[in-house]
Amino acid sequence: MATSLSPSATKPTEPPAPAAPVRRMSTSRKREARYFYLFISPWIVGFLAFMLGPMIASVYYSLTDWDTFTPPTFVGIDNYVRLFTEDPIFWKALGNTFYYAAISVPLGLVLGLWLAHLLNKQVRARKLFRTLIYLPTLVPLVATAMIFQMVLAPDGPLNGLLGWFGIDGPAWLLDPDWVKPALILLSAWGAGGATVLLLATMKGIPNEFYEAAEIDGAGSARQFRSITFPQVTPIIFFNLIMGLIGAFQIFSQVYILTSGGPNNASQMVVPLLFNEAFSYYRMGYASAISWVLFVIILLFTLVAFRTSRRWVFYETAMR
Amino acid sequence: MGIMDTNFSRRGFLTSTLVAAAGVITLTACGSDSGGGGGDSRLVMTVWGGEVDKAAYQARIDALVEAYPEMSVTLQLILSDSYAQKVQTMIAGGSGPDIMQVAENVNVYSSKNQLLPLDEHIATAKLDLDSRFGPVGSVYSYEDTVYAIPDRSGAAILYYNKGLFESAGISAPTADWTWDDMLSAAQELTVPGERWGYAGAGWWPLWWSFAHQNGGAIIDEAGRPTADSDAVVEALQYCGDLVFKHKVVPSTIDYANMGTDMGGDPAFAAGLVAMNTTGFWNVGSLAEQDTVEWDIAPMWRGKEQAVATFGSGLAISRTAKDPALAFKAIDFLTSDKSQPLVISMKQDVPANVEVQQSDAFLSPSWMTDPVNMQAFPESSSFAFKSTFIPQWNEMQQAFTDGLADFWLGKQEAAPALATIQERLESIIPAK
Repeated sequence: MATSLSPSATKPTEPPAPAAPVRRMSTSRKREARYFYLFISPWIVGFLAFMLGPMIASVYYSLTDWDTFTPPTFVGIDNYVRLFTEDPIFWKALGNTFYYAAISVPLGLVLGLWLAHLLNKQVRARKLFRTLIYLPTLVPLVATAMIFQMVLAPDGPLNGLLGWFGIDGPAWLLDPDWVKPALILLSAWGAGGATVLLLATMKGIPNEFYEAAEIDGAGSARQFRSITFPQVTPIIFFNLIMGLIGAFQIFSQVYILTSGGPNNASQMVVPLLFNEAFSYYRMGYASAISWVLFVIILLFTLVAFRTSRRWVFYETAMR
Repeated sequence: MGIMDTNFSRRGFLTSTLVAAAGVITLTACGSDSGGGGGDSRLVMTVWGGEVDKAAYQARIDALVEAYPEMSVTLQLILSDSYAQKVQTMIAGGSGPDIMQVAENVNVYSSKNQLLPLDEHIATAKLDLDSRFGPVGSVYSYEDTVYAIPDRSGAAILYYNKGLFESAGISAPTADWTWDDMLSAAQELTVPGERWGYAGAGWWPLWWSFAHQNGGAIIDEAGRPTADSDAVVEALQYCGDLVFKHKVVPSTIDYANMGTDMGGDPAFAAGLVAMNTTGFWNVGSLAEQDTVEWDIAPMWRGKEQAVATFGSGLAISRTAKDPALAFKAIDFLTSDKSQPLVISMKQDVPANVEVQQSDAFLSPSWMTDPVNMQAFPESSSFAFKSTFIPQWNEMQQAFTDGLADFWLGKQEAAPALATIQERLESIIPAK
């Protein structure tokens, strides 16, 4: 019992500890550990019962032909073969999802950083702006999507605005070339969430850093580049990871606004797998899609973590 | 020593967590078994729709329970968008409904043995489907076996703005109108950029009606797709020309500019289109407003008379606890004892032809101005019958995808339907 957390002295019947060094813990730390396990247990039970179980099951189902009604038939890797070689709509949806993630995630980060930087200045009505920028995050996505349907109408307010600058706006949600940019526009609407986190971190940067920099003659751009940005990189990194996962899993906006149309121009991976599972009753095929997506997200997250060493700065981990 | 003071190892913790998790799973599994056992008179009935549907079905269930006090029926109304998913999950979890509303996707279930064949029950009850329901009697059949009893069934009919027709001096439309009559009326009633003559046929049952009127069919009687036949191509092109050539029908872009979720129905109610073809469901709300003066008529004809029917039936799921009892309930719900409630509650056209031709339907008590309700029984005499293939949902998706460019005016009907036909042939396996 190398991992035993209790001192063997209190339990004389306990077999003697092996030669490996046993870390003895103080009573308060032991109690803390027990409380930790007690309070984390609902989550762990929930994860094991409702997440891990279905996940393992879906690995099996992805190797079967299953309509959810009749017993599954084992087909080996047929679903994956079909996915990669015979299904043009999957490739289209995957391409669309990459397109969406590649633009919406960096855009969200840049917007969030820019807005937070602006709000960090001593401007009038700062609190009002802060509220206004965060407000869209609080509006339910369904309501936002409905509003965007109106805003993005071919003769809607957005195209009206573009018209003032002499730009003939596209039909956004109805145009295969513009429907993805429209969804990206909708994602930028939610930049307030990142802004608030970044702003809180910026507020926490000690003023001495800026004072010292000012004495050294650093301008505001240099201060931002050498102090503000490195200090907020952990939050940017957090937003990057969450943004990547969220973007690859985009569902509601597509489901409400376009149903993947026109002609799959806005079809994404998760709405596609939803259709396969619940409209066409191909749960095995849908499970295969979900595992492909899982691997893709995992790869991108790993790459982000790997490269993070080069640009994310943690104060406690000075190198 | 309390629980917090006992020896506590990580491994021990994980073991107990796993045991607890297994317990949760076991308990859930047991839960789905409870309520079993024969002779249970509690029936669960799933239907889709909104408030009107809920009230109508509940009223009919109340009448059913009054007639058979030994029954108790629980109504589960599910939003239309998520109905299929919910029912799928219920059945897959082993606790499917006893009585289940089905429509065009009936054979998704029957082809996978999820519905009970009803032929024996029909014979035992001496129910004559053809005399009770007319042409739609055995519409919910798969491989010559009946899987659902028709419950609601109304043809698409033409709603027209009576006020506009009268001021333009156009006589009321009839079933003998041709495509040319419709087009010339639509042209007269169109005011560019303000009002359109006709709401259009972008929805599948509507352009399919045009295709059948032109002598075509989307799926032939053998269940094979024939979407690229000359008759279908010509009919679809005509529907497209109404939008882009004659400009008497709002385009997708025009509808998007009218507001969120706009289509023919709200546009007609707002007076933006003078003619609209759709199902019964607007009759109730139009009867309550004064903005638009309106009436209904059967849809026009092409080379032939043909029109789509909207309907639904009641089926018994594989997991039903007491199929005989469930059938007894369905028999009552589709009889002349329950079907008048379908119309008196402003819900739909009852499938029961006797009720459809009764005064209860032709002049409902809630109708203030006279409306030509005769249009419904008249239309059902020339309604075309769709072949409800098991791959119904995938077929619809193929049309939605393949016609996206067509309804934006970027593609002709022939190439669009050729692509769709190819996709349909791969979706629908040859027997």
